[in-house]
Amino acid sequence: MNPRPWWTKLGHGTLMLLAAVYCLFPIYFMLVQSLKTPQEDVFGNPFIVMNPTFENFEELFERKSETRGFVGDALRRSYPFLDWLANTFFVFAGSVVATLVISVAAAYALGRLRPPGFRWWRRAIFATYVIPQTILFIPLFQVVNAFGLDDNLLALLFIYPSMALPFCVWMLSAYFQHLPREIEEAALIEGASRTTAFFRIVLPMSRPVLVAAGIFALGTVASDFMIASVFLLSGQSQTITAGIGTFDVALDELAAVAGVNLMAIPVVAISALFARDYVRGLTAAMVEGA
Amino acid sequence: MRRTQRQRDIRTAYLLMSPAVLLLLTVLAYPLGWEIWTSFTSLSPLQEGGTAFVGSENYRRQFGDAQFWRATAVTVVYTVVTSAAKLALGLGFALLLARPFRGRALVFLAIFLPWAYPSGVSVIGWYWTLNPPTSTAYAPFMGHAKYLVDGVFGGGAWAFVSVTLFNIWRGSSFIGVLLLAGINAIPPELFEYALLESKSPWQRFRLVTVPLLKPFLALAVFLSLTSAFADLANVWMLTAGRIVFPVIGTHAYWLAIKAGQFGPASALSLTLVPFLLGVLFVLFRLFDPPSPEAA
Repeated sequence: MNPRPWWTKLGHGTLMLLAAVYCLFPIYFMLVQSLKTPQEDVFGNPFIVMNPTFENFEELFERKSETRGFVGDALRRSYPFLDWLANTFFVFAGSVVATLVISVAAAYALGRLRPPGFRWWRRAIFATYVIPQTILFIPLFQVVNAFGLDDNLLALLFIYPSMALPFCVWMLSAYFQHLPREIEEAALIEGASRTTAFFRIVLPMSRPVLVAAGIFALGTVASDFMIASVFLLSGQSQTITAGIGTFDVALDELAAVAGVNLMAIPVVAISALFARDYVRGLTAAMVEGA
Repeated sequence: MRRTQRQRDIRTAYLLMSPAVLLLLTVLAYPLGWEIWTSFTSLSPLQEGGTAFVGSENYRRQFGDAQFWRATAVTVVYTVVTSAAKLALGLGFALLLARPFRGRALVFLAIFLPWAYPSGVSVIGWYWTLNPPTSTAYAPFMGHAKYLVDGVFGGGAWAFVSVTLFNIWRGSSFIGVLLLAGINAIPPELFEYALLESKSPWQRFRLVTVPLLKPFLALAVFLSLTSAFADLANVWMLTAGRIVFPVIGTHAYWLAIKAGQFGPASALSLTLVPFLLGVLFVLFRLFDPPSPEAA
């Protein structure tokens, strides 16, 4: 290829910069907000923070779970933030693990063992995405109650996986289907069982696809707002998402933005750590078109 | 021997699939059945007396309702605008990142983050950024923007613009990464060949890149459509429930929760399904064509 002239390079660079600024600006803005003192929030420049402080974050942890009474006309509430943090961690980790285990099992069956009509099974599972979630939570509430899980984190632990599952099964089964047969067959001839061959050979080499499925599941779970706020009603059992939804904007703006960041930072860090494998896994699943 | 092995494999397959199928059945089958049944009845928590079976009444009344057509129009505009913008931006991001250059990993990370940033909470951050409490330093600026937009397009327009921007911001990130993975999945020889055969980058884009990416574009469009059509939480959150421009999702939610009309609300949410099934059918044709290697 001939060397590209300087204006193409400049154009490319400018586009890169624009793309990065467009993507990062809202995140930057929220981060800056959360580091501000109330004074700076009112009088300072909105785009920068002169005296960064962690007091908004600290405030979240200091709060106890009782009502602090009225300040002026407004009810000043407090929040069990530590409970929320623990709940969020429990629900997110549990949902991602459950999604992965269930979808790897189903995907291996569909892509490798290929029962009759496996394509239709796979399509049917993916097709559940056409069911609009809109008011589905009303009957879902009855199901959750029937299991005795109202206002219980466990309810989310079986609703969330169902939201990420269709895409994960689709992706993983496409990957398993295109994995050459010989990979396992060598081990099977050596006398290993299918199970051993799966855990020793197939699973370790599928790392990127598993990561991709896991990151997708995490993204799906973390993007939910509706389910969390409909099913988790009492303060003690809420996740951060559900909890912050109940904040009062005018009174708790800075604390809320701090809460947003506190939840976002670990999720973003984990996703960023695995970002490369995420793309690699998606690619691996897409090779040859699924 | 061979035959029993196959039978055993099939039995294992069903066993391995059962958790996924059972989960989807518990979470979706009963609720969906309930919704379909309810859409033919007058079920309402506010109503005295029993629930009556009303046949297609809910659907017929809905199609004669001006509110319904308004919600449909808004939904269509919202979906088309966001999907087109997401697709254009996403494709742009993917093409920008397709070739190696210095600092690519950083730009990739920047493009990946809007999707990775949990929207369950970032939507709250967006709401407060765009509709700040009056005390904050940038509140006057945002207030001006709000009055400007609302002045031109009517009250509630600013909130709607913010929903649209949020959806595009997050969706373009997801689609960009998805399409980048798609480009990586295309054998490089095809691109090299295209480089020799075609005259202009535009021609190459139109005749090589787009056709090869078609299945992935279709997947992106499908996921974008289902999420935009069903978009309820974002619209609800970013407008704080003060919805001037209802989409089908929020209208159904409002009917069910505020007005207590479960029947019409069910009918309303189900009207989208045939359309989405049509899109899904096209997707399967593109993405999962019946191939001779099928076992």
